[in-house]
Amino acid sequence: MIKTFGYIFWAFLLVFLSACERKPVVYHEQLLVFGTVVDVKLWGVKETPGQQATARLADDFAYMHNAWHAWQPGPLGRVNQLLASGESFTMPPSILPLIQRSSKLSLSSNGLFNPAIGKLTAIWGFASDDPPKGPPPSAEAIRAILDQQPNMKDIRLNGLTMQSNNPALKLDFGAFAKGYAVDRAIEMLREMGINNAVINAGGDLRAIGRHGDRPWRVGIRHPRKAGILASVEVEGDESVFTSGDYERYFDWQGTRYDHIIDPRNGYPAQGLSSVTVFARQADLADAAATALFVAGPDEKNWLPIARAMGVTGVMLVDKDGQVQLTPSIRGRIYFIPPDGNTEENNTEQTSPGIHISTAL
Amino acid sequence: MSQIKLNRGDAVIWLLAAILLVGLYAVFWRVDGHGAEAVVLVNGKRWARLDLFQDQNLDVPGPLGHSHIQVRDGRVRFVNSPCPNKLCIHTGWLSQGGEVAICLPNKVSLQILASDPRFDTINF
Amino acid sequence: MSRTIQTTRDDYLIAGFAALAITIHIAESALPSPLPGIKPGLANVVTLVVLCRYGWQMAAWVSLLRVLVGSILIGTFLSPTFFLSAAGALASIAMLGLLFSLSRALPGWAVGPMGYGVAAALAHMSGQFWAAYMVFVPHSGLLILYPLLMTLAAVLGVVSGLLTRTILKKLNRTPSGGNPV
Repeated sequence: MIKTFGYIFWAFLLVFLSACERKPVVYHEQLLVFGTVVDVKLWGVKETPGQQATARLADDFAYMHNAWHAWQPGPLGRVNQLLASGESFTMPPSILPLIQRSSKLSLSSNGLFNPAIGKLTAIWGFASDDPPKGPPPSAEAIRAILDQQPNMKDIRLNGLTMQSNNPALKLDFGAFAKGYAVDRAIEMLREMGINNAVINAGGDLRAIGRHGDRPWRVGIRHPRKAGILASVEVEGDESVFTSGDYERYFDWQGTRYDHIIDPRNGYPAQGLSSVTVFARQADLADAAATALFVAGPDEKNWLPIARAMGVTGVMLVDKDGQVQLTPSIRGRIYFIPPDGNTEENNTEQTSPGIHISTAL
Repeated sequence: MSQIKLNRGDAVIWLLAAILLVGLYAVFWRVDGHGAEAVVLVNGKRWARLDLFQDQNLDVPGPLGHSHIQVRDGRVRFVNSPCPNKLCIHTGWLSQGGEVAICLPNKVSLQILASDPRFDTINF
Repeated sequence: MSRTIQTTRDDYLIAGFAALAITIHIAESALPSPLPGIKPGLANVVTLVVLCRYGWQMAAWVSLLRVLVGSILIGTFLSPTFFLSAAGALASIAMLGLLFSLSRALPGWAVGPMGYGVAAALAHMSGQFWAAYMVFVPHSGLLILYPLLMTLAAVLGVVSGLLTRTILKKLNRTPSGGNPV
């Protein structure tokens, strides 16, 4: 009798406990692939299916990384060589979708996102695993490439073959491949029946579904200082991609030269510290973040590009720490003051550093 | 069951017990997302779990060498690392559940675990 | 120097109480529990009765005997379970000792079974919990359980206090030695 009492007693306690403390059912794994850390969180997925899913993701990412690598030997390297030769050649199936998609995005960004300027990226020293030390390339070297205006329109697609007449054209999908890869990965998860997940590749992420009974909580790091600048809730299907001047850069004689080159003048884009884009498709978010970073802090310049690319969620931080937000982000984002406590919806009173742009 | 008759001493004890219980919930059931633990991953695999309530320093071995990690006052950070860019060090102190710092070249990463994390993922 | 031990009726009662406490302790060990050694602590009732009738020293003996002999009989002597039991018992005894002295010093504020019950239960649970946390499971996830276990202990403390009082009433109807409290 005492034993029964004991069982009932502890059963009651356990029920009470389980009601209070949610058992975490998030499968979490970090994959070192794609030249970065890909952090995968799968909600409601147990150990074994989680491992299977991430193993497949790791394989896919490894394949894509090799296929689209801008400077290491691989399919893209061969494509670039053949494009430079001017000959017509059969295109590898792994590259075609990338070219088609990025061409469309390049067009809608008015050329600010231009994956064809691989040669410019290279002379600035960003086409290598080692960070460049400087000095910056000469104006003549830049001019030589710029004058030939390498552009996605220079690629002629004919059925299964492709060809280009512009020897200055070199494909570098660095500003876009990650987004595209994340899209493929999310698709793969959906095929496996996983509908609540976050894939974060080196800081850029796409989240689908929710974290159980609440949305996914995303923290956005401050571009300049250590710590979190803002937090945002994401659910359903959304990508959050940030382009910044702090990712890859070198300092030379007091000026910072980052890896995002303005295709119009051949120099690293100036004016902004970071651009964060919220969009459903990760490849769009990736390309748009780059394009808007190039566009610069003036609303007259970046707003039309965002509009043309179909992006309504944008946050820009300029070099003085001033923040600009599109209206759709204003209601969702919570800025964290330096002492670390979140204030509820403190963008209601716009502090001097935050500017809400005109509606898109 | 006879009615509960408390004398004064008992009443004092019961009162103190009630205050204690409330206090315990307040202390141990903090839901402000502060992490109690951090996890160190090397090459994507769990290498160590750190109790953030205990100040400590540790050297984490990676392909490039040792990354030095420090725990102090419930926060953790990279202090030193053999990578060229030192982005991991620039990330600074981590304290909230979900926050991460990564030394990619040395394949070492640091993340705060919390049962109800402030952030599930960090964009940067 | 030898002394013939004069056993009084009280000695028989204490031995009886100790045996009873040990029996309950062994019975409790059959119950499943979330952490090794964390038990409802019903054997504490015996300790409390002895405390109220015979004073703290005797209660301390009964409690220690319970833990020691009980663990030897169950076969858990010097095992982790034993250490947790011992930790709980020691903490409980210490708390009771403190309250007992205070009750003697301030008779107007003397503590009765209801107070002792709750205080001892909380101390007992704390002793067990922190021993478990620091020595066996230093997992900070465990800390979430502490407020719950303490709430539980408080409830059980009330129950054991009530039981103690009932038993004391019954015992007072049968004549025996003096009641120091």
